[in-house]
Amino acid sequence: MPVITVNGPIGCGSVTIGQAVANELHLDFVDRLVFTEAAKLVGIPVGALIDKEQRFDRFRDRLGRFVQTMLERSAVSGVSGEPYFGRGIETLPPETYMELAGETTATAHKVSDQEFIDATTKVVTDLHKKGNVVIIGRGANRILADMPGVIHVGLLAPIDHRVDVIMHRERFDREEAQSYIEEVDRARLAFVRKFFKVDADEPTLYHMVLNLEKMEAKTAAAVIVHACGDLAS
Amino acid sequence: MFPEVALTGTTREDVGRMAEWLNDSEVNTVWYGLGDDGKPMHHGYSPHELIDASDEELSLVVENEDRKIYSVYTQEGEHIGEGQLAVDWPLLEAQLFLLIGRKELWHHHYGTVAMIRLLDEAFETLRLHRVWVDVPEYNEHALQICQHLGFVLEGHMRKSHRKDNEWYDSSTMGLLTEEYARRRDRLMGSPTS
Repeated sequence: MPVITVNGPIGCGSVTIGQAVANELHLDFVDRLVFTEAAKLVGIPVGALIDKEQRFDRFRDRLGRFVQTMLERSAVSGVSGEPYFGRGIETLPPETYMELAGETTATAHKVSDQEFIDATTKVVTDLHKKGNVVIIGRGANRILADMPGVIHVGLLAPIDHRVDVIMHRERFDREEAQSYIEEVDRARLAFVRKFFKVDADEPTLYHMVLNLEKMEAKTAAAVIVHACGDLAS
Repeated sequence: MFPEVALTGTTREDVGRMAEWLNDSEVNTVWYGLGDDGKPMHHGYSPHELIDASDEELSLVVENEDRKIYSVYTQEGEHIGEGQLAVDWPLLEAQLFLLIGRKELWHHHYGTVAMIRLLDEAFETLRLHRVWVDVPEYNEHALQICQHLGFVLEGHMRKSHRKDNEWYDSSTMGLLTEEYARRRDRLMGSPTS
């Protein structure tokens, strides 16, 4: 009952390779489903969890939260303006209000880091108990780090290669793809460092690390399938 | 060019047409097959039973806020199918179902446009955060449409879907509101097959 975790930065082909391995070995394949199941456990929209993994803390976001906090305090105290803003909150540009209004759906439902990690750990360990599954990312390689019967695979590829992949997949132009990848890379590294206290790209975390610039996805999948033979023996 | 479709509330006459469409083996084969009683399976309610229900019972089904049921109509006013959003309000998400019952309209993009209308309803009207589908492996056309619309594969489960006493794999695919917003304007430009 093999369990395989596949981790890599965006654009490496984790999903394609994971699906190919699952198909070849007749395993379940689980990607973002880890978070949708965890969201059910903590009773909040899945976006609040995905935010924790993917959201890069831009200055604008931090400013937005600060403004929201001020608005909430204003509401509690019954005043419409705050002295910190000089001319008063009601004179903020309309787009700022729109951003704040937009936050009321997903991110207003906050979940603590501990709740998040507990729920994710529960989902991943349940998948491990059930067995026969390929799990993509989501810290699964750390949660199952010392578990028997698990192979942890790391993927990498130079950014130019990944930009080409994302341009094709998301229909971005080169600049958009580069910027998107850099943002998600930063968020991924920050997420793993924060919740699992390790560098996501540290090779010793994995049984093997494959460079997808140097091999086709189907070759990478075949290598992983072959390694699962060792697991069985 | 894409055809135009509209979503409307569901009437007793619409339910009757759903029952007729599902009686067609070609239609129920791509849907949920036949139940133990030999009647075609459907999600959320049984058209064959609801057709004879009282007005009150009918209202309970077609006006249910937790399972929004929409009839799909063409621009010419022809009823061609049904969409559903089974909403989980605390999680701000819904499972989406769509059946184009008029099989002569399959592969003419009515499914794609009806899906876009349902997603508009989910994200813009209901302000949901995630819409998901669970597509069995035998419905390859539905998988293609979902991929075209930007649904992300979240998981693929083996032998998780039962139809006519056989087990099939199925793919869970999800779409978040910001993912949809990013793709929405480009969707009408390049029809899927």
